Amino acid sequence: MLHFAQIFSYGLISGALYGLVALGLSLVFGVMNYLIVAHGALIMMAAYITFWAFVYLKIDPFLFIVIVTPAFFVIGWILFKILFQSLMSFSEGEKIKNSLLISFGLLLVFSNMATLFWTADERAISTAYTGKVFDLFGVRLPYIGLGGVALAIIVIIALHLFLTRTYFGKAIRAVSLDHEAATLMGINVNRVCLVAFSLGFALAGIPGILTALHAFNPTVSFELTNKALIVLILAGFGSIKGVLIGGFLLGAIEAVGVYVMGTPYREVFGLILFVLFLMFRPQGLAGKKA
Amino acid sequence: MKRIILFVLLFACLASVPFFTTREYIYSLIILVCLYTILSHSWNLLGGFTGQISLGHSTFFGMGALVFRYVWLKGLPPYLALGVGALSSLVLACLIGFPSFKLKGHYFSIGTLALSMIALITIQNIFPGVSFVPQEYLKTYSLLPIYYMAIIAAAVTIGVIYALTRSKLGLALISVREDEDAAEAIGVNTFRHKVISMSLSTLIAGMGGGVFSYYVASYYYYVPFNLDYSFDPVLITFIGGPGTVIGPVIGSICFVLLKELFAISLGQMNVLIFGIVFILTILFLPEGLVGLMKKLRKTKKVQAVESA
Repeated sequence: MLHFAQIFSYGLISGALYGLVALGLSLVFGVMNYLIVAHGALIMMAAYITFWAFVYLKIDPFLFIVIVTPAFFVIGWILFKILFQSLMSFSEGEKIKNSLLISFGLLLVFSNMATLFWTADERAISTAYTGKVFDLFGVRLPYIGLGGVALAIIVIIALHLFLTRTYFGKAIRAVSLDHEAATLMGINVNRVCLVAFSLGFALAGIPGILTALHAFNPTVSFELTNKALIVLILAGFGSIKGVLIGGFLLGAIEAVGVYVMGTPYREVFGLILFVLFLMFRPQGLAGKKA
Repeated sequence: MKRIILFVLLFACLASVPFFTTREYIYSLIILVCLYTILSHSWNLLGGFTGQISLGHSTFFGMGALVFRYVWLKGLPPYLALGVGALSSLVLACLIGFPSFKLKGHYFSIGTLALSMIALITIQNIFPGVSFVPQEYLKTYSLLPIYYMAIIAAAVTIGVIYALTRSKLGLALISVREDEDAAEAIGVNTFRHKVISMSLSTLIAGMGGGVFSYYVASYYYYVPFNLDYSFDPVLITFIGGPGTVIGPVIGSICFVLLKELFAISLGQMNVLIFGIVFILTILFLPEGLVGLMKKLRKTKKVQAVESA
């Protein structure tokens, strides 16, 4: 039983990371129907930058959020202007298809670039608190993991409040519902999309830091994109609130999978669930039938 | 007609290459080009003609390789084994591929990606070892039979695709790509045509896997299941020209040459360059290199008319 509790709590800790990973992807998809599969590669880039900052400048990863998030906001801004703005006028299906293909190219470019720059070796940041655990009735909870869970909950709630309570957040939600109606209400749709897209990129910075605290290499970009897509389908495409629950759910299911079948099949459980959801409930857990 | 003659001539030239040179390096370059041509044409049939963007072709490629290797080592002649490998891919497609047509648009893409990941992980766990060929075979090892098999398989593939572009079936597939609802409205059974397209595509992919398994003497069982074999054909086809006969061939030649050029550098420099070119192609050249050539030819004609 203790063994199961241990595996399960690790599952929930990774689940928090999965939720954070899917957050930016979900926001961008919800607002403008862009499926940015390069999201995992962005997170990997953020992880490498965090790694460098720690090794060369001795900046604590959790403090580095303040730098890496705005930096990725700017990167998102630039990439939107160069690559993604021209897709704005397409129909919904074409938008998804073209953004999927372009970001797929980006995913390959980024992960190969990372292999060239940083080689395929495993890297990890070892801070003073790496490996320290908190003992809860015999279940060992690493402090980094607990920090990750707290971070995920804070960020997702903050984004939710931003979208529901602030003027600009409401504009973003209006655009996600209907571009034309939003234009008629006097919302600058182009500007809102630009900011939402950049925000999606900025949200890749935070899981990047958590990734850097564990062992990672360039292939992590595919893994994380894959997790993000699974969470997205569990939560329902474009749902922000569902992302946290979807992430925890995926983590929990993987944990059960590990307990039943052993570690090598960890990924398979999530993937099978993913395919089943795609086929029978593509609107996600909470979504209404289209 | 002119094209068919040109094609047969080219094939004859390739078939006579071994009479002029015995350099194995040239053979393996041509084998690789043929291999990528087969793989990307298999993707082109489904993605370029029928508009179903699959990110999971490595599953069928790997299945072909796996079964080919098994029945070939059991003593079946290679060409028969190639057919068995291709058929096994089709069987796999019946089991997992056709249900995935319940998914439309981007759901199909990410669904097939998930399937190929499941296949990769499963194979890695079931067959963790290396697939060897027997010692006696290695003693008489020669690239020539492999070379002929590769060019024959590539020729068959291109022939099938060419015949398809000339047929009613090909037109129906293109109509599915352009607008599924409209195709349904004029009486094209979209589901049936998607299934036909997928069947042919997986047969070709399985054949490609067989050629891979015949060419590479020993490899880890999971290698042909690697996601690279899902992603490379997407890049090659889009850069060459999706929905064309010659596009994937041009794309494969560029891809293999770039790969050779950067063979010593760390990481896949050719994929990096192809990725950047791929993004530019999607943005500015939706018809790929073939479209670019058409455009250039047109402007030349216009200039000729103007100067006359």
